[in-house]
Amino acid sequence: MKKIAIVGNPNVGKSVLFNVLTKRYVTVSNYPGTTVEVSRGETLIDNVKYEVIDTPGMYSLLPITEEEAVARRILINEKPDFVIHVIDGKNLERMLSLTLQLVEASLRVLLVLNIMDEAEKEGVTIDTHLLEKELNIPVVKTVSTAGIGIEDLKKRISAHERRL
Amino acid sequence: MKEDYKGPVEYSIEIAVETIEILLKDDYGLSRRAIALLLLQDDREIREMVKRKEPGALGKIDDILNEAKSHYINPITYELALERQNAVKAITARVVKVKKGNAPFREKLSRLTMNPLTGLPILFFVLYWGLYKFVGQFGAGTVVNFLEGTIFEKYLNPFITGIFTKIVPWEVLRDLFVGEYGLITLGFRYAVALILPLVTFFFIVFSIIEDTGYLPRLAMLIDRVFKKIGLSGRAVIPMVLGLGCDTMATMVTRTLPTKRERIISTMLLALAVPCSAQLGVILALLEGKPRAMFIWAGTVVLIFLFVGYLTAKLLPGERPSFYMEIPPLRLPKLSNVLTKTYVRVKWYFKEVLPLFLTASVLIWFGQLTGLFNIFINILKKPVKLIGLPPEAASVFLFGFFRRDYGAAGLYDLTKRGYLDGVELVVACVALTLFLPCIAQFLMNVRERGWKMGFGISAFILFFSFSAAYILNFILTKTGVAL
Repeated sequence: MKKIAIVGNPNVGKSVLFNVLTKRYVTVSNYPGTTVEVSRGETLIDNVKYEVIDTPGMYSLLPITEEEAVARRILINEKPDFVIHVIDGKNLERMLSLTLQLVEASLRVLLVLNIMDEAEKEGVTIDTHLLEKELNIPVVKTVSTAGIGIEDLKKRISAHERRL
Repeated sequence: MKEDYKGPVEYSIEIAVETIEILLKDDYGLSRRAIALLLLQDDREIREMVKRKEPGALGKIDDILNEAKSHYINPITYELALERQNAVKAITARVVKVKKGNAPFREKLSRLTMNPLTGLPILFFVLYWGLYKFVGQFGAGTVVNFLEGTIFEKYLNPFITGIFTKIVPWEVLRDLFVGEYGLITLGFRYAVALILPLVTFFFIVFSIIEDTGYLPRLAMLIDRVFKKIGLSGRAVIPMVLGLGCDTMATMVTRTLPTKRERIISTMLLALAVPCSAQLGVILALLEGKPRAMFIWAGTVVLIFLFVGYLTAKLLPGERPSFYMEIPPLRLPKLSNVLTKTYVRVKWYFKEVLPLFLTASVLIWFGQLTGLFNIFINILKKPVKLIGLPPEAASVFLFGFFRRDYGAAGLYDLTKRGYLDGVELVVACVALTLFLPCIAQFLMNVRERGWKMGFGISAFILFFSFSAAYILNFILTKTGVAL
């Protein structure tokens, strides 16, 4: 089965996105040899089944905490077909650094700008097309708590699937 | 999905990365480039992986790693974070638009502190209320006057002197404890009644400012000015720390990325940044004389900028780049502020008390042998040259020992009415610029080497008197009444 890993800082809405994507077959288990819990589920996008992995919060590819180490091990060992990097739309400047690292690691990254409702409330507007060009990866705006942007995200995943 | 992002890394890191990429043959789940970068950052897990998968390559890789690391003063992690952050900044600058007026208050205030137009008035406000009003008028004025004038001068000193006169028949020995430069009447009094309250008040303000998250914003604000004098905003931190203790701050200059920046800031710390005790005493001296205070502050700031500019011109080197994580603004917690203040004051006091007592003994010994007078006589000439009365010579002799000790001496001198307004300002400027204390000198030598340590001291000795001479000349010629 193809795999999707959801990565990003803590508190950016990774788990909410995970829950929205995987309505069935969710398992929670400790990552081998650690006390860190990892949730796995399944989702169907354009008739293709994916395993979705909700990784622990990470700030950088160079781990400091056990959680970060586990998140990286998932990327290294499970070789996900897609890596969804979820970031807080209000805080691009603090979070894009990890996006650059993920791209640099040749992972297939999709960038999700989450919590866009709050960002817009704060007067933050983001030019996603330009950002896509700058990073050379698909960028999707979402409000995962309200389910906004999820269909778009799925479309981008299947579009990429076809192109490969 | 194209993978053409190569990462914004500097040239010699780039060379190391590319060489390691060639050496790595196996599949690591991440690109070889990412693996190479992680190896450069001493990632243990990745190292183990490489060791497991291709042990033969590790020896060569280690050589490359060590070679690359030797080119950087900072950890590679830091260099990479800096580069990446610059890249991110460039991207967000193009992609993100923030409509002003919509941000929450905290965010607005944060921006105001960093915008030169509003930031400088805010800085002035902080300095005025924090330093001038609280440390200067309240701490140095009210509290010190009470401790110094009332407790020590009125009650303690006469009382202890009385006891010693009764039980110690030898005047020489009596002088050691309660004489003009006695252990109790001078050393202990300076430390307890003058330096202790001043340093306490200073560190209260400093801890509050620190805990609000203002310092990194100040660093951003001053960055542009600092660039002109060959420093980056990062150097603001050691400079502001220097207002607490220059010795400690000199140690902190290690965090500056280029050698050039470290030399410039060591120099400026030794010359033009007064430490908390010195600053406190000067605020106490000039308290109630706002014009004198203004001239003193203006002169010191000008000299700071001038010497910084000059050193930057003389020392070749690249312009420093600057990146700093800005933490959110927050209200400081009282318990944190008090704990920090307590720890710092305790540390300072522990260091200062024995030194002040030693100074008293040394001076006593110097008087006994006549050495003290010889030194005073040597110093009288330059002191007279900058327009000060001969009595001020002792202050500079104290100053050789410790700048704050000298400042305390100046405090006594003024109290006895030896100095008029102009003389006071000139003396304050000279003493602010004067040689750092012994501890700082040793730190300069330790951090920058013998040549640089002595060079800086010699320059300062010459420069402080010259600056005082010129200032005295200007003030007397223009006939400013202070």
